[in-house]
Amino acid sequence: MLTAGPQRTVAVTWRLSSLARRLVTLALAALFLAVITRRAEFAGLAAPALLLLVPRQPGRPPSVGVTLAAGADQVTESEQASVLARITGHGEGTVRLRLLPAAWITAGPPALGADGWYRLPFRVRHWGLRPVGTLEVILHDRWRLSEGRLTVSLPAVTCLPLPARLESLVVLSKLPARLGEHAARATGEGTEFAGVREFVPGDRQRRINWPATTRRGTLQLNTFAAERAQVTVILLDVSTDVGTAGESTADLAVRAAAGTAAAYLAARDRVGLISFGRQVRWISPAPGRRQADRIMNMITFDSGDGEPLTSVSRLPNAALPPGALILVVSPLLSLRLVEALRELRERGFATLVVDVLATEPDIGSGLAGSRDRAMARLARRMWRMEQDAIRFSLRELGIPVVYWDGRSSLDEPLAPYTRRVMVSRT
Amino acid sequence: MTAPDITGPVRPVTVPARPVLAVAALAAATVAWAAVPMSGARAGARPALIVAAACAVFSVAQLAAALLASRPGTARRDTGVYQAPLPGFIRRAWDGVRAVPWPQGLTVAVLGLEALHPARPWHTVVLGVVVLAFLLALHLAESADGPAVLRPQLPLIAAGLGLAVVSAGAAMLPAVSSGSGWLTVIAAAAAVLAAALALPV
Repeated sequence: MLTAGPQRTVAVTWRLSSLARRLVTLALAALFLAVITRRAEFAGLAAPALLLLVPRQPGRPPSVGVTLAAGADQVTESEQASVLARITGHGEGTVRLRLLPAAWITAGPPALGADGWYRLPFRVRHWGLRPVGTLEVILHDRWRLSEGRLTVSLPAVTCLPLPARLESLVVLSKLPARLGEHAARATGEGTEFAGVREFVPGDRQRRINWPATTRRGTLQLNTFAAERAQVTVILLDVSTDVGTAGESTADLAVRAAAGTAAAYLAARDRVGLISFGRQVRWISPAPGRRQADRIMNMITFDSGDGEPLTSVSRLPNAALPPGALILVVSPLLSLRLVEALRELRERGFATLVVDVLATEPDIGSGLAGSRDRAMARLARRMWRMEQDAIRFSLRELGIPVVYWDGRSSLDEPLAPYTRRVMVSRT
Repeated sequence: MTAPDITGPVRPVTVPARPVLAVAALAAATVAWAAVPMSGARAGARPALIVAAACAVFSVAQLAAALLASRPGTARRDTGVYQAPLPGFIRRAWDGVRAVPWPQGLTVAVLGLEALHPARPWHTVVLGVVVLAFLLALHLAESADGPAVLRPQLPLIAAGLGLAVVSAGAAMLPAVSSGSGWLTVIAAAAAVLAAALALPV
């Protein structure tokens, strides 16, 4: 059950309805023609319109009560949400509601429930803080001769980015000594079988491997891999945003970051975030649901409270604990970020870049001359070569770069690194 | 105060085509009924017919545009700061066309077209019925309501049609159809009544 907001009393401005105006036109035109042409049938033709206009009475409510209730304060992209509205004090007249959607809002048809509440479903198609729009209430009197309209602004809703699908995780070969769910190379108290060794006094008898003991003639013991938690830091690059709104590089980057953070936090890892936008903002790695909320809030809102990008010479140490996996989601258009990645590699961090550059600059689309078009083709080739060079230089440094198109699962580009542990060369 | 649970099914998004088709059929019927036969009509009937047909087309287009604009699922997009001149001009022209009260124009045009024909009382009454049906269907289509909302008006519509039939019968009497003075006075009084009703409160 939802808690409804307080009832507001909104004044209604009544005016002649479109039906009444048309009936007046019909009556006046027919009567005018009856006088001009002296044909009685035209006067009779005006009779139905005049009779329909007669019942118009001034007893209309000057105001109505509007109560709103929001279905949810927070939704995910393309998730359906609803606004509930109840209109009271309209007397015998009829009420019609229409949701006039704001940008990036898709409104559904309103439906009146048996309890007197109207449900106005809508979907938000882009992440961020989105105003839903305005609610238009159209009132008609019983005879449909008067029409009253009023509009009510609807509250904004927070829309979280749709997380990219990621089921297999990139796991480092060396994991910090924190209890977790990833099988480490070291033996420990986990559940994944690691090997067999000779029994020594003090070992648990329940772990004795009896088939191996029978073969070798001495007591043999099962050993298991230790289970450790990984520290993952997501470096979200939204310093440049190119492409169609809704599918731009920033859109793909935040969806990839949201999906990655959710997947690692679900595996009980410690996840941190560095947002590389107008400011550099960060959240130190931590596990848990509260951390997930903090990360999603930072991804969704630009609070503007970080360090200005121009004043940051290197990425913050507080957000980069030793042994962390750095997952970079970036279109690699910012040379400042590329330099930061080189510096990260020099500091020994295992780094992997998810490239989200799914668009190219629109060079020469409006050019008519063949010479101009050739120059545009050359410029485009130079741009592509520059991008290839950036990615090649990163690979040469030992930073893998994988491309994600924004539509498929993140598992596809990350498959070469999720099938086996990623060796960290510290 | 608590609001109800919102976990119910949502109706699928639909575009109402039937009301538009009904209004289009009634508009076409109105123009056709007022026009036939064109052979016996006086001068000026042809321009009146063209105006009536144009008003009918624009009435239906206006209705369809309004329904499309208010269609569930329609979302406004950011048009950006800059807009090309031609699309901007087309948009402004279309907004201007949509602001014209085309159904009123159609009503006046078909009545004028009927007046340009020789006196035919029963034909005129039928035209009145069709015009009234067109206006009511248009209102129902615009408000997305069913015919049931007009139930309170049914006695008034029936009485009005009865008066129209009586007037047609009176028009067929030779003394009245010749155009005596009392009919003119009654018509003028009714015009004043209609004008008073038209004043907004």
